[in-house]
Amino acid sequence: MIDRIVVSYPELCTGCRQCELTCSYVHEGVYSPGLSRIRLVRFEGEGLSVPVTCVYCRRPYCEEVCPTGAMTHDPQTGTAVVLEARCIGCKECVGACPIGAADVPAAKDTAIRCDLCGGDPACVKACPTGALKFESISQATREKRRGRVKEFALVMDATLGREER
Amino acid sequence: MKQIAGDTLFIDLSKRISWREPNDDLVRQYLGARGINARYLWELYEPGADAFGPDNPLIFGTGLLTGTVAPSSGRTTITCLSPATGWYLKTNAGGHFGGEMKYAGYGNIVVQGQAEEPTYVWIDDARVKFRDARHLWGKDVRETDRALKEELGDEDIQTVAIGPAGENRVMFASVMFTVYNAAGRGGAGAVMGSKNLKAVAVRGTGAVKPVQPARFHELALAARRSVEADSGFEGLGTYGTSGSLAAVNEVRALASYNFRRSHVDDVYRITGQYLSDSGLLKRRVACFSCPIGCHRHCAVGDGPFAGSSTGGPEFETLVALGSGCGTLDARAVIMANEIANVMGMDTISLGSVIQWAMESYEKGLITKEDLDGREMHWGDGEMIVELARKIAFREGFGDVLADGVKRAAERVGGDSYKWAVHGKGLEQSRVDTRSAKAYALAFAVNPRGADHLHTETFADFGMSPEGRALIEKITGDPKYTAAYCSEKRAEIVRWHEDCYAVTDALGYCAFTSTALYGVTPAMMADIYSAAIGIETTEDEIMHLGRRIVTLEKCFNVRQGATRADDHLPWRLMNEINPDRPEPDAINSQAELDVMLDDYYDLHGWDRATSWPTRATLEAVGLVDVGGELERRGKLPG
Repeated sequence: MIDRIVVSYPELCTGCRQCELTCSYVHEGVYSPGLSRIRLVRFEGEGLSVPVTCVYCRRPYCEEVCPTGAMTHDPQTGTAVVLEARCIGCKECVGACPIGAADVPAAKDTAIRCDLCGGDPACVKACPTGALKFESISQATREKRRGRVKEFALVMDATLGREER
Repeated sequence: MKQIAGDTLFIDLSKRISWREPNDDLVRQYLGARGINARYLWELYEPGADAFGPDNPLIFGTGLLTGTVAPSSGRTTITCLSPATGWYLKTNAGGHFGGEMKYAGYGNIVVQGQAEEPTYVWIDDARVKFRDARHLWGKDVRETDRALKEELGDEDIQTVAIGPAGENRVMFASVMFTVYNAAGRGGAGAVMGSKNLKAVAVRGTGAVKPVQPARFHELALAARRSVEADSGFEGLGTYGTSGSLAAVNEVRALASYNFRRSHVDDVYRITGQYLSDSGLLKRRVACFSCPIGCHRHCAVGDGPFAGSSTGGPEFETLVALGSGCGTLDARAVIMANEIANVMGMDTISLGSVIQWAMESYEKGLITKEDLDGREMHWGDGEMIVELARKIAFREGFGDVLADGVKRAAERVGGDSYKWAVHGKGLEQSRVDTRSAKAYALAFAVNPRGADHLHTETFADFGMSPEGRALIEKITGDPKYTAAYCSEKRAEIVRWHEDCYAVTDALGYCAFTSTALYGVTPAMMADIYSAAIGIETTEDEIMHLGRRIVTLEKCFNVRQGATRADDHLPWRLMNEINPDRPEPDAINSQAELDVMLDDYYDLHGWDRATSWPTRATLEAVGLVDVGGELERRGKLPG
């Protein structure tokens, strides 16, 4: 089942949108952020961008609320599948998703959701700064923990008058 | 082809109507963006029309490749008659507006007429609405972007806007894209202000599709790998444009103290490296589709400039508002940069007028009384910040400086023209052309005035292996890579002119092709072919580049330009560079004349007048332009 997902590190994101453009090309054959399964939330005035994509909930509401069974997953790999022929564009999945990762784009009319490119996400490979990683959550958590502690340790060192870094 | 080129949207602010036309033919003849804009301006602008009147069209053009994954291809060009110079103006910005405009279905937007009341235009895919902007008039760029997103109910829309400087017709008012990306040079913001156009907001939900998608995608990925392999890539991403200050200082080309010095001690304090090390740098920021990410976001936490936070500062800003004004206080520069950004002013021209004022004060041509009782001295950060505000609102002496350094010198008189560092009325960008001769020639012939963003000739410095290899390729001999070499500069300038025109037209950034050299003309020809499905060779695409360059020249010829207008600032032509007093480290009329002769010969332009000949215009496919110039008596005899 799903052991790794696309984890974002917003502090490294420059907002270049290579992820969105690559995703829409890989899945739809065109370039369009609106058709990308990963989206950047941008704050232009602050120069800040945060990537958002499917986090693979243990209990995916998007699948539970889908009235036609179009929003589903591969029973072998656990990766998301949208059966486009069944999707009626009702947008129940959009309402149910807690983070805005399921979408029914204006340019498409059927639902989209990150399928991890079947286990080798193109967005991660396209990211020029390492702001996207394909990793297990326990690994991501470990890294985050270590990063925070390192910051804390630096502050402690400074407080104790030791040399930084 | 429509799915990559988009249409042209025409907007008439006087009549409050809009319509769209396909531009496939223009894409074949002029590539896109800057090229198509040049053609529209040639056709729509009638000589004699006031830069601030309804008949000066303000033309936006986004790159042919904008909206695609091609690396750093999201740039947009604005074209109009410059109020600052009275000559041709193209000014270009990054950010994310261009992509959104393309997804809404447009490659170019031609704004004509003049609105009666402050107005903004809301482009929601195919729907175009004229909306009241009286409540936005007077707001700064950041506030305007915020207000538009709130009232249109969509945080993901993209905006271009002017600040108070554009409203007040400051001659170097910029048009700000995505809040912090400036189409800064030449006063396009003042033209927008004269049209009562506060902003354009756009939402595009469509898609861009090349004619040959699979081939296009492969070529885009190859272009990205090539950009990433350039020796300048890592430094530019890590430290931004300001990462090269130390190197430019080292070759004695860092324009300091209003070009009286070309080198400063302790330059580190205004470098990109310092911004990183000091913690002033908060984030790297990228324009649309750009893997380099050279843009910055900085903030100041303490000291007299605490609380300022801004996009930038770039190389030019740190020199113009820093060492040029005699300060190495990066925090003062960040605050002045923020004022320039949100008021919508070009930082190069702003720094230039302030340092001109500092020198004029030192020499007694400006007094305390002019400055509301304040003393002024070199390196006065507080004064830099105060003058920036006054200029935006045209308060006190700010009103004089807001007209640009050429007019300010005319007002103040005396010898002050000698240190008014401009070409054709455009404040020179902060490169000391006495230390780089291809830059000198390129600045002199640049149709918009003395700066580097028409024809960046970075190879001239001989700093990068790619640049040295290119000069050898263009000239046939590595000896021409030597610093201060003035031979073969015409060949080097012409190659960069053609290449830069193609770069702008496709929407690429100069950092892919004429400063870094990862994307070659051959690669641009290939990706253009895949984009529109018509095979085009390297020679053919460079030929189209030359057509654009020649048309821009013809616009100025029609405006009355002659050889005498291809000049350099008085100071650079007449004073030695004290930090590099060798005899070859100067600009002089004699040296410039030799380079100009070579340059005009190479182009097939008449030496005496600088005008393109009929044969030249025929060769570059501008027969009709030649016909009009002939009717106006502007073809060389």
